[in-house]
Amino acid sequence: MKAKITITISIACTALILTMIMFTQFKTVDETDITALETMRETELRTELASWKEKYEDVESKIEETNAKIDEYKKELDNDANTAELLQNEIKEAESYLGYNSLQGQGVIITLKNTELRDIDYSDILALVNELNAAGAEAISINDERVISITDIITVKYISILVNTKRIQAPYIIKAIGDKKYLESALNIKGGYIDLKKSEEKSVECVVDDNIIIPAYEDKR
Amino acid sequence: MIYIGIILGCVIGAIIGSMAPVIPYTYSSYLSIAIVAALDTVFGGIASVIKKNFDLKIFLSGFFGNSILSIALTYLGEKLNVDIYLAAIVVFVGRMFMNLGIIRRYYIDKWVTMIEKRKNKKVKEEVKE
Repeated sequence: MKAKITITISIACTALILTMIMFTQFKTVDETDITALETMRETELRTELASWKEKYEDVESKIEETNAKIDEYKKELDNDANTAELLQNEIKEAESYLGYNSLQGQGVIITLKNTELRDIDYSDILALVNELNAAGAEAISINDERVISITDIITVKYISILVNTKRIQAPYIIKAIGDKKYLESALNIKGGYIDLKKSEEKSVECVVDDNIIIPAYEDKR
Repeated sequence: MIYIGIILGCVIGAIIGSMAPVIPYTYSSYLSIAIVAALDTVFGGIASVIKKNFDLKIFLSGFFGNSILSIALTYLGEKLNVDIYLAAIVVFVGRMFMNLGIIRRYYIDKWVTMIEKRKNKKVKEEVKE
């Protein structure tokens, strides 16, 4: 009888343990999310890791490609900016040649005055401008009228003088920017312009200046 | 009385088991192999009862020893990178089928003899009449 009780108790205990473990396992299997990272087995994790690595490398190569493209575009942009700057400079240069910009620099100031004996003729101014141009003047103005390629220096019935179709009055102050020594010597040379005019008893004065401002051509037709 | 004990144990075990916390998935493979080993021992025990050579000591030692040994082997297999638990499952499940076969044969025999006895009884009654 005693032996039977021990057998019963021990078998009941084993049955208890077995069912307990089984139900725990059922519950575990039931409730565990196999796809969750925490519950994955090592091999599964490894394959997952490998696939992610591959993806990462893919994305990285794509990033590199995109970066290279961006660099290319940037370079192109820089080139464009350079070209634009170059063009801008060219435009400025062309404008200063055309007289659309005011200029500042060393040069000479020639003052022609009417005297009691002789009046200044338009041809005197024309000759002076011609002389200055020959001497390498970069910019010339007559009474602050800029002399450009289409500037006209004419007279109306030898009474008034027109420059850029605007009437100018004595005294005529002609400014020229350029190498001041060169300009001065070109004018003051023996038998040169000033000599000639003085021999015609006309009043000519030449002053060298380091800071001459010549205005821009105003009438942009 | 034994059957009452078994049923009681099963019921209490089921209740405790369904209230127990969830085990980490990594360890659940060990637990499953232990369950297979324990089930094998239980069927072995039933078979031995039928053969009338049931020994409680052998049954208990087999129940716990096989479970622990299978867990240890699985652990070792994981360390060696060999799936030893597959071998354990093959052995245990094979033995389970063997024991189930013994049990089945025993009960079929019992059933067949019972039917034959009834037939004999009927024949005897007919003879009497």
